[in-house]
Amino acid sequence: MAAPLVLVVLAAVTVRAALYRSSLAVFIAERVEVATPLNAWKRVVEGLALLDLGVSPYSGAIFHETPLIIYLFHFLIEYAELVFMITDVLTAVALYLAIQDFNKVVFKKQKLLIELDKYAPDVAELIQTPMEMHYIPLKVALFYLLNPYTVMSCVAKSTCAINNSVIAFFILATIKGSAFLSAVFLALATYQSLYPLTLFAPALLYLLQRQFIPIKLKSKSFWLYTMQYASLYLCSLVVIICLSFFLLNSWDFIPSVYGFILSVPDLTPNIGLFWYFFAEMFEHFSLFFVCVFQINVFFYTIPLAIKLKEHPVFFMFVQLAIISIFKSYPTLGDVALYMAFLPVWSHLYRFLRNIFILSCVLIFCSFLFPVLWHLWIYAGSANSNFYYAITLTFNVGQILLISDYFYAFLRREYYLTHGLHLTRQDGTEAMLVLK
Amino acid sequence: VCTSRFWFNYRHVANTLSVYRSVKRLGIPDSHIVLMLADDMACNPRNPKPATVFSHKNMELNVYGDDVEVDYRSYEVTVENFLRVLTGRIPPSTPRSKRLLSDDRSNILIYMTGHGGNGFLKFQDSEEITNVELADAFEQMWQKRRYNELLFIIDTCQGASMYERFYSPNIMALASSQVGEDSLSHQPDLAIGVHLMDRYTFYVLEFLEEIHPASQTNMNDLFQVCPKSLCVSTPGHRTDLFQRDPQKVLITDFFGSVRKVEITTETLSLDRDVAGVESKFPEEELATEPLKYAEQLPVAQIIHQKPKQKDWHPPGGFILGLWALIIMVFFKTYGIKHMKHVF
Repeated sequence: MAAPLVLVVLAAVTVRAALYRSSLAVFIAERVEVATPLNAWKRVVEGLALLDLGVSPYSGAIFHETPLIIYLFHFLIEYAELVFMITDVLTAVALYLAIQDFNKVVFKKQKLLIELDKYAPDVAELIQTPMEMHYIPLKVALFYLLNPYTVMSCVAKSTCAINNSVIAFFILATIKGSAFLSAVFLALATYQSLYPLTLFAPALLYLLQRQFIPIKLKSKSFWLYTMQYASLYLCSLVVIICLSFFLLNSWDFIPSVYGFILSVPDLTPNIGLFWYFFAEMFEHFSLFFVCVFQINVFFYTIPLAIKLKEHPVFFMFVQLAIISIFKSYPTLGDVALYMAFLPVWSHLYRFLRNIFILSCVLIFCSFLFPVLWHLWIYAGSANSNFYYAITLTFNVGQILLISDYFYAFLRREYYLTHGLHLTRQDGTEAMLVLK
Repeated sequence: VCTSRFWFNYRHVANTLSVYRSVKRLGIPDSHIVLMLADDMACNPRNPKPATVFSHKNMELNVYGDDVEVDYRSYEVTVENFLRVLTGRIPPSTPRSKRLLSDDRSNILIYMTGHGGNGFLKFQDSEEITNVELADAFEQMWQKRRYNELLFIIDTCQGASMYERFYSPNIMALASSQVGEDSLSHQPDLAIGVHLMDRYTFYVLEFLEEIHPASQTNMNDLFQVCPKSLCVSTPGHRTDLFQRDPQKVLITDFFGSVRKVEITTETLSLDRDVAGVESKFPEEELATEPLKYAEQLPVAQIIHQKPKQKDWHPPGGFILGLWALIIMVFFKTYGIKHMKHVF
């Protein structure tokens, strides 16, 4: 499988290099959909220039990257394009290896459950075979590398690509089973943008499953393992934050990075839901609503953990999607990351109900973003409501996509254990609905 | 003061800049000159020779050089600003270069050019100053003792009407044309496409080019510049308010900055006076070592000292800590036994 992967990687690198050399690079770099105040490349350059002039880059409200990013780009700023291309390639390779391992796990589990007779007799067509699972890792890498969202995000040199790469490595480490590495990468991802904190739960669930520790609240081994993992994660996070203190000898980066993510002061339009709402709001309500919106991101972890505790990787996928929809400054790069996982659940296709409408909505919205932006900002014949409408539609489309997949997954699990032809108590055909 | 703007009024800017140049050449520094121009000629997109304003045909003389200091430019040239400069009633935030810091021993030369009519002068194509206003401004200046003697030159159509109403003493006025006559421009320049100068100022400039700081030319010669045969209009002058005889007034009194220096060959002994002076002022200062001038840094070094731009480098401790952590993570994952492959 290495050769097709190399081919895909080469094709992706060619596309990106071609775009870098063309005149579209400047146009794409300015798009608000890929460059937010949090991860725009212009701000990285500005922060490094401020540093060369002897001023702390966090002194104005320009630079919101972490000190490790400063360190990384201080030496690599001339090779920025190469760095971003390599980052994308690394992400794709990490996802490829992760999904390869995951497929093995899925297949093993499936075999175990068949031998234990947990499946109903007539679900033969729902069982995944190695034949169809063979190409899934390649498709995942393909979906990530050649996704127009990823390409645009890479050409815009938005540091979201680095965040994606760290999350991809975290997923690889988790699926391989190394608690230490996964804690370290999760700490790095949380350190950069706060939201991967919610991925702690699915990672923990997966590692517990791998260690065959049952998830019972009274079980001592469960709590022991949880404490171990949590302490690894928290210690690495603390170590990384203390190390960043030593870069500039100041704690300035904490309000600039985390304070900025949590309190959302900059209301530049992006594809998220925060900007319009807070632009319209009165001052004395904004604190309350900021808290509400932020809790909204973190809150879905708990019910999902309860429902999906047997399927932590799907939980991770849903969690990634929720982060990229509800985070304070989302970009298309975040969307691309969870979309890369869609081939893993391609066997759910027959249960997806709205997939045609949703894909149409997402594609049309992607095309309408620049059109309505132009109408609003340059032509002046539209206003922010138009752009916000498209943002809303895009996010509603994403949410419906996730809930469709969620429903399809649960439905498949139900059919697996109860058989494909469901009958009610009086013998007529039954329909499964999500209540 | 040049009171017009737009490209086709190139000649007014050239007029003003020529007089400015002559005045500077004869020794008056920029701190003593208030130059009001629309300043839209040199960088005008229609100027085929950018950053220049020429005053002779065949581009012999570029009057827009490196050291032209325009004090009021573009839309700041208004009647209100002009009158405020003259009378000194300026807001306290105005910089010194925009003020007329004259006192009762100063001789002032005022040169105005532009488009005018019977009793008024048009400012920037949007407002006018009348001869009454000008006369009243000069009277305010006299009452505030802001001038010793004032020479007023105006080069516009019907320019003589502007000095008809003066009533303050010590004013001498010259105009390029009488009431009812138009002041005409000198030849056009075919390369630039506009008329480069007005006739009256052209001949005044020719006249001034021959003046040097030691010349004894007097005002009567200035009155003879540009007779009707050359200028088509009749230049006029008014000397009735002036107390000295124009024959005895030197051109350099107004156009140049000439100090009266007498060289004497007598020797004076100052010894007795020095002792007398010293005893009057007791030694009150502390006995500090006076700094010798030579001990200060040479000026060239002071001017060219720039703060050295140091490139920022991440501190060594940070790099050490980061890589130590990375190596620790690597070996924790892959085991120490792999170290033997490294070595």
